[in-house]
Amino acid sequence: MTKILFSDKLDNCVERWKSAGLTVIGPVQRSNISTYAAIEHAAELDFSLVLPDRSIKDLFFPQSEPMLRYTIKKESIDTDECLPPSGPRIIFGARPCDASGMAIDDPLFGWDYKDEYWFQRRNETVIVTIACTKADDFCMCTSLKMAPDSTKGSDILLRPLAGNKGWQVEELTDRGREAFKTIADILQESSDPAAPLAVVEKKFDLDACVTWLQNPENFESRFWKEISMRCIGCASCTYLCPTCHCFDIQDEGDTYTGIRRKNWDSCSFALFTMHTSGHNPRSTQSARWRQRIMHKFNYFPGKFSVNSCSGCGRCSRQCPVDMGITETLQEISKLSL
Amino acid sequence: MKIVGRHDEAPGVRTMKLEFQHPADHEIFKETYRTGMFGLYGVYGEGESTFCVASPETRKDYIECTFRQSGRVTSALANADIGDLITFRGPYGNRFPIEEFHGKNLLFVSGGIALPPTRSVIWSCLDQREKFGKVTIVYGARSVADLVYKHELEEWQERSDVDLVLTVDPGGESPDWKNRVGFVPTVLEEAAPSPDNCIAVICGPPIMIKFTLISLKKLGFDESNVYTTLENRMKCGLGKCGRCNVGSVYVCKEGPVFTAAEVSLMPASDL
Repeated sequence: MTKILFSDKLDNCVERWKSAGLTVIGPVQRSNISTYAAIEHAAELDFSLVLPDRSIKDLFFPQSEPMLRYTIKKESIDTDECLPPSGPRIIFGARPCDASGMAIDDPLFGWDYKDEYWFQRRNETVIVTIACTKADDFCMCTSLKMAPDSTKGSDILLRPLAGNKGWQVEELTDRGREAFKTIADILQESSDPAAPLAVVEKKFDLDACVTWLQNPENFESRFWKEISMRCIGCASCTYLCPTCHCFDIQDEGDTYTGIRRKNWDSCSFALFTMHTSGHNPRSTQSARWRQRIMHKFNYFPGKFSVNSCSGCGRCSRQCPVDMGITETLQEISKLSL
Repeated sequence: MKIVGRHDEAPGVRTMKLEFQHPADHEIFKETYRTGMFGLYGVYGEGESTFCVASPETRKDYIECTFRQSGRVTSALANADIGDLITFRGPYGNRFPIEEFHGKNLLFVSGGIALPPTRSVIWSCLDQREKFGKVTIVYGARSVADLVYKHELEEWQERSDVDLVLTVDPGGESPDWKNRVGFVPTVLEEAAPSPDNCIAVICGPPIMIKFTLISLKKLGFDESNVYTTLENRMKCGLGKCGRCNVGSVYVCKEGPVFTAAEVSLMPASDL
């Protein structure tokens, strides 16, 4: 017997969480884009997709957010720090790859200087993840040594029952248990079996790829030029990636008042590293694509002991020219044979 | 921070002297600043730019910074007047371990607008001159007008305990130029400072660093005795925004000061 949350009771849960002061967020369709957004009723939720277009990263690290407001006066400059809007939230229906993506970035935002914007949101958010029973050709969690039911980064893991009847509940963290206490009486004990998990085919040998990437000789390999020939540097892959975290800081305002903002940026852009002198350390698209792959599978794990990729496959799924991490690592797998 | 002094060094290059407005901020600076560290200087509405603290760690009552006016932020900084307020974040990054240089000869090699970071180390050492051996400075710029800190170059030239070699690129000399003409690495090889018991501090545009490293190798310098500072584009200065890294190294956290031995482990084409 396991605890079950039946689908027809989900709206009661949403009500319960809302009355407990939580903002309920889930996968929805907004302007023809599938994304995560705050909802009022369970009926708004759309669980039909393998994975929404946009990841839950946006909820912790928005595309653009104010850091401070300034007012310049005659003798002084007044500044107000803008902290993110506070308040507990529950994300219902994250995917294991997205949830683990957030956990992957914790050490980055926490090393040395602790990023308040990130951790305030992390600490105030319960992530309820639904294990995947469907996958598409781009899913690659298993190649990253994860699985359709990975628990990393999740507070609760739900395993779907057959026929969309509901979910088996696995409470993973105190934060998750706390949130599910509110709906304890709605959950039912049942022995309904979980639906079979999605089968995600292994697409490349990660260890072999990492070994190849770590070999300094391969840094200058012509492979990089060949694989990135198609890249148009649009940065879709980095913006949709749950773990890509690079940002820019820009001021926006007039002479006397304005806002300093933190905006997403991307290593795909030439201006990202361009010096004032015009010298650019990563002056070609191939150098920039190499940086992205090296960062995710060599530099980041070297520093934080975890790959900066959770296998969601959005980079390949949404790429306008059909290249992405999967294609690149598949090619590297072949090279390292 | 308040601008309390301005000085034009070369066409488009300006030094500003800044004083802390809040004693608490000044205390933190005094406790943490060591030569080689950098800061983010900013003007609200325009943004922030990264450059070194050009004043030495032996003079912490103020901050001096030297910059070339070229983009949005540096133009706004150049337009700021004495008495105006600008922002400063820092000091960030690592430092030149000058106490490890005690008792050693020092060779400074610098080009163009890269004298400011070198100058911070030079004065940090000259302010405690007795702790170091022979001091040699090789400095070059594109033209005579482009040499920065001209008043200090004169001072160093007159000091008997400093050996200053000045050069300008071919074509950059003026009719009354009495110093060398030639590129920094070539002039350095001609000056041929001895690598014995000597620490080299080099700073310049990437192309100058590349060839100076080759020249130093020819002169017999060990890579672990050669220090340089990498100045990559930065936004956060806190190891998060992701643009300053060369290979696995975050220049803002693990740098900007590296030995040539450390630089040689970095992917050369990403420098």
